[in-house]
Amino acid sequence: MPPKAVPAAAEYNDVLAQRKKAKRAEERRRNRPLYLFMLPGLLYLIANNYIPMFGILIAFKKINFAKGILASPWCGLDNFKYLFVTKDAFVMIRNTLAYNAGWIVLDLVLAVFIAILMAEIATGRAAKVIQPVICFPSMVSAVLLSFIVYAFLSTSYGFLNTAFFKDKPINWYASAKYWPVILTIVHVWQNAGQSSIIYMASIGGIDKSLYESARLDGASKWKQIVHITLPMLRPMIILMLLMSIGRIFNSDFGLFYQVPLNSGLLISTTQTIDTYVYRALMQLNNVSMSSAASVFQAVIGFVLVMLSNLMVRIVEPDNALF
Amino acid sequence: MAKAKVSQVKDQRGFYCVSLVLMTILAIFCVIPFILMISVSFSSETALSQGYKFIPQEFSLSAYRYLWLKRATIFRAYGLTILITVVGTGANLILTSLFAYPLSRKDFKYRNVFAFILFFTCLFNGGMTASYIVWTRLFHVKDTIWAYLLPGALMGALNVLMVRNYYNANIPYAIIEAARIDGANDLRIYTGIMLPLSKPVLTTIGLFAALGYWNNWTNGLYYITDSKLYTIQVYLKKLMDSIQFLKTSDLATESAMLAAQSLPTESARMAIAIIALLPILCVYPAIQGELIKGMVVGGVKG
Repeated sequence: MPPKAVPAAAEYNDVLAQRKKAKRAEERRRNRPLYLFMLPGLLYLIANNYIPMFGILIAFKKINFAKGILASPWCGLDNFKYLFVTKDAFVMIRNTLAYNAGWIVLDLVLAVFIAILMAEIATGRAAKVIQPVICFPSMVSAVLLSFIVYAFLSTSYGFLNTAFFKDKPINWYASAKYWPVILTIVHVWQNAGQSSIIYMASIGGIDKSLYESARLDGASKWKQIVHITLPMLRPMIILMLLMSIGRIFNSDFGLFYQVPLNSGLLISTTQTIDTYVYRALMQLNNVSMSSAASVFQAVIGFVLVMLSNLMVRIVEPDNALF
Repeated sequence: MAKAKVSQVKDQRGFYCVSLVLMTILAIFCVIPFILMISVSFSSETALSQGYKFIPQEFSLSAYRYLWLKRATIFRAYGLTILITVVGTGANLILTSLFAYPLSRKDFKYRNVFAFILFFTCLFNGGMTASYIVWTRLFHVKDTIWAYLLPGALMGALNVLMVRNYYNANIPYAIIEAARIDGANDLRIYTGIMLPLSKPVLTTIGLFAALGYWNNWTNGLYYITDSKLYTIQVYLKKLMDSIQFLKTSDLATESAMLAAQSLPTESARMAIAIIALLPILCVYPAIQGELIKGMVVGGVKG
């Protein structure tokens, strides 16, 4: 029950207010050095993230660097219109989405498969070698990756041509039709081990007594996987799926640009939004097209991340990013 | 019943063996490309003209001799890469842990506001083009060493949040209170309590940051044209570019053009690539446990 207000309380309230004020002043005094701690990081965020956000304006302007970015005239959505009437736009969006869609499914199946096998041998000594080995390819930069791939695909010396296509060597870096397969193999080689780790950790967290009682009931290994492991992995699978859908407009720039050695003849199967943004900016000097594509990617990416997080919040509230 | 048991044991054994065999095959599949690289680097040019093989047909150290002749260029790029990796990783850890400290302080009034300012950068960005224009036209990092250290590389929001969560979970607020009552200021608390107690998480972040700096070549691609500022990755990239015209040429002209240009030989190029990989290869066995742990944490929230 709240205490009744009595006239004398006015004085008391004054004291309280004063104390509150003093406390707030004390808090402010205490908080002051904390801003200094954040200062370097804040400056970096402003320079690296927040100023470029205003750079989005570039996509809506007819850029003239002689006049400066701010003084350049507005052109509304013209840049986007020009971009989307080109065939480039169709090719890069198709490629980005198609590769991502295929790889999301492939990665998931492989990662879960590897994790189940890995969990089976986890207690053995071999696992201590195998696990680091299958994760090692993800430590390699795209440039090194391009050297490795070149060792296989070089027209005159490459392992594939000299070992299997001696009579009729294939000019890999000029034949676009092979690249969906090549890039998929390279992608899997580099990422399969690493992406299985998360599922391995989840399997490690499954209650062992579940398997124990299944075994007592005579369940085969296969049945244990189907009825225990997979259902227990379901939340993690859904989470990872949703998160990759949030990134479906993004691609691994190094894989699509450097591994095909920036070959112009391969554009139809290797161009993604990221490689287009780079090529338009640095090779064609077309700031308008480049910024239109990169803003398109950033905005759609933002919407998709928000949506996928919303979905995560519905199905797996504990794992929502925010 | 006994029969069922036996079949079950068999089933288990069988599954174990199948797993072991499949995983071993996968591991070999992961290693083989590196073996090809190493083999090429130790092969003589005449043997290579017959094609790349997994076992050197004619053992030769000529590639490494070539590297020694070119040591001025290569060591320069190598040294620069080491410098960038060390400075970048150090700066990254300092910025990350400094930013995380106020966010973890429950008596810091605006901690959620700043956490949001930080986190928003994960959700939205201005795109690569805007970023490039800001870094080159506003901050003029083009052809400076800053181009490797700053754009996109320094402080990741998710890392800061990871450190903040670590502080929150592992360093009780009471310790900080007690230290303050004893007269310690925030700097003293940060260096004396927060940093030493958060070593595990900082180690993980530091390793990933170091790997990122060592492997980074896109910043060089965007911002570096001066060959004096090539890191080893950018140097390798440019080497690949110099033979790029080959990919469109047909078989007959490829070797002729290679010979005409005084480019490093096939084996020498592979040797340089191996030199770039070597540090990772050397430290990997020691740090892989940390990295794998980091992938588990980063995989969910990242």
